[in-house]
Amino acid sequence: MNGLGRILLVEDDPKDIDLTLAALAEYNLANEVIVVRDGVEALDYLHARGNYRSRARENPAVVLLDLKLPKVDGLEVLREIRSDERLKLIPVVVLTSSREDRDMVASYKLGVNAYVVKPVDFHEFVNAVKELGVFWAVINEPPPGSVAGRK
Amino acid sequence: MSVRALRPYGLALLAIAVALGLGLAAERVGLEDIYRPLFIIAIIATVWYGGPRPGVAAVVAGALCVDYFFTPPRYALSFERQDFANIGVFVVFALVIGGFAARRRRVERDVHGALDNLKKEVAVRTRQAGLLDLTHDSILVRDLNDVITYWNRGAEELMGWTAEQAVGKRAHELLRTVFPRPFDEIHAELLRTGRWDGELTKTTADGKQVVVASRWSLQRDPDGRPLAILDTNNDITERRRREDDIRRLNAQLERRSQELEASNKELEASNKELEAFAYSASHDLRAPLRHVAAYAELLQKTAASVLDERSRRYVSNVLESAKKMGALIDDLLAFSRIGRVETRMTLVSLGDVLREVLRDVERETAGRDIAWKVGAPLPSVHGDRSMLRLALSNLVSNAVKFTRTRPHAEIEIGCRNGPSEDVVMFVRDNGVGFDMKYANKLFGVFQRLHLPEDFEGTGIGLATVQRIIARHSGRVWAEGVVDGGATFYFSLPKP
Repeated sequence: MNGLGRILLVEDDPKDIDLTLAALAEYNLANEVIVVRDGVEALDYLHARGNYRSRARENPAVVLLDLKLPKVDGLEVLREIRSDERLKLIPVVVLTSSREDRDMVASYKLGVNAYVVKPVDFHEFVNAVKELGVFWAVINEPPPGSVAGRK
Repeated sequence: MSVRALRPYGLALLAIAVALGLGLAAERVGLEDIYRPLFIIAIIATVWYGGPRPGVAAVVAGALCVDYFFTPPRYALSFERQDFANIGVFVVFALVIGGFAARRRRVERDVHGALDNLKKEVAVRTRQAGLLDLTHDSILVRDLNDVITYWNRGAEELMGWTAEQAVGKRAHELLRTVFPRPFDEIHAELLRTGRWDGELTKTTADGKQVVVASRWSLQRDPDGRPLAILDTNNDITERRRREDDIRRLNAQLERRSQELEASNKELEASNKELEAFAYSASHDLRAPLRHVAAYAELLQKTAASVLDERSRRYVSNVLESAKKMGALIDDLLAFSRIGRVETRMTLVSLGDVLREVLRDVERETAGRDIAWKVGAPLPSVHGDRSMLRLALSNLVSNAVKFTRTRPHAEIEIGCRNGPSEDVVMFVRDNGVGFDMKYANKLFGVFQRLHLPEDFEGTGIGLATVQRIIARHSGRVWAEGVVDGGATFYFSLPKP
């Protein structure tokens, strides 16, 4: 499947990974999803260092970011993305279980593009992921330096 | 001259006339020489009662009568040499007597004057002593041996002994005085400086202890020798008790505030824990639930063809329960957030808030016949906008939910702006209502009055309303009739 940007999914919970991938697969968005399991790995990927030293240097089209992560949490990852000249234009969507206002406020303060509370209802989740994926990875014109969609 | 001044002279003439009459009568019965002492007695009587001047008049009149009536030639005023001697002796005698009488009168006058002065003095002193009785202070005078010599009414009232009982007793034995330092020291100070004051504890006649502010003053005689001690006392028992009370209360307050501080710290700690708990619940509790629901849904989708009817129902129940629990967790978290989050107080237009709420419920009410009635302009109140919106939204959703069985639903939202200090809002519906017997259960967490298959819900909505209104210093209550609709009220302080 062509025409899609690369999606970086930062998620520690294997079931959530499974379900997110399932949701993305419903709309044929599952290819080119890179899954990382914690904040450190996410930053390694984004900075192309450590295990990802040899990866191609394009930025992902969108980052789907969980907030509660081992080692370095999602807000910290977001802060680092926004403070790095080369990364700060990447669209970031926070996908989280938390309905807490303070997480949402903190995320928006750090310049998140969208904040999605994962609904208990799976098909609602599928809809949300679809909309997000379609918007950020397909419709949205990615900033220069990303893996551009070939529409 | 007044009649009163003439009266002694009349007395003189009367006395002489009586003496003359008696002399002439005596002469008739042969007692010839008795007239002289009779005139002397008349003159003495005149001088004694009438004074020296009428006495002189009596002497002159007596001498003339003696010469005229008794000395020869009788019944003629003729003055022989012998008569002059007689009259001379008579006059000298009368003058001596008169002198004594005058002196006596002077002495008598002096004595009377002194007596009058004494009486006046006594009256003044009595008045002054009476003033001492008027004062509320308890005043006593004691000599240097501590024996009471004066005891005013204030002392009687305070200590319970009358003056008769107290005078003559040793003051500090009678009163069982407790001194703050040795009596000898106090007494020495009094003798040295002439005064002393301090607080003393004494015991009254009926055994009660009183605290007095005592002031002692030393009275000295003109030579400077100590004479007596004036001992004035104010009852300060009540004041001391109040002071003690205040001290005790202050100590109590101090202790309480320490306790409060400690429990505040505990509360803070437990609030932090609660916060952490809620945060964790928000993240960690919902995640597995989402997984249960999601996999059940996936299973429904992928295995629908291989599952029999019963298994499909099981999967559907799993899904439903997971969703229910998700709703419960969300509501509980929202409920707990009201207690944890700080309120952001602004002036909130309830009319605006209600419009937003009604827009939100439009989706739920699509296809239903609901007559909305919104009362005249709703007031503005001071409050946290998002919380008030949640409260109003819960009440409106409630009304929508419990009128679902009505073909034609009526929901009225309005304001009862009475003369009181509060704004009273109400949401009224013609739904299934409730039994007033259970009115107290309406606002409890997880309290439900209906079966879940009749009306869905978590039992947290009204509890949330109550918590929000309570945080705004308001009150919630409800009225209802089974199958006759319900009205929910909440009050908020006027801005």
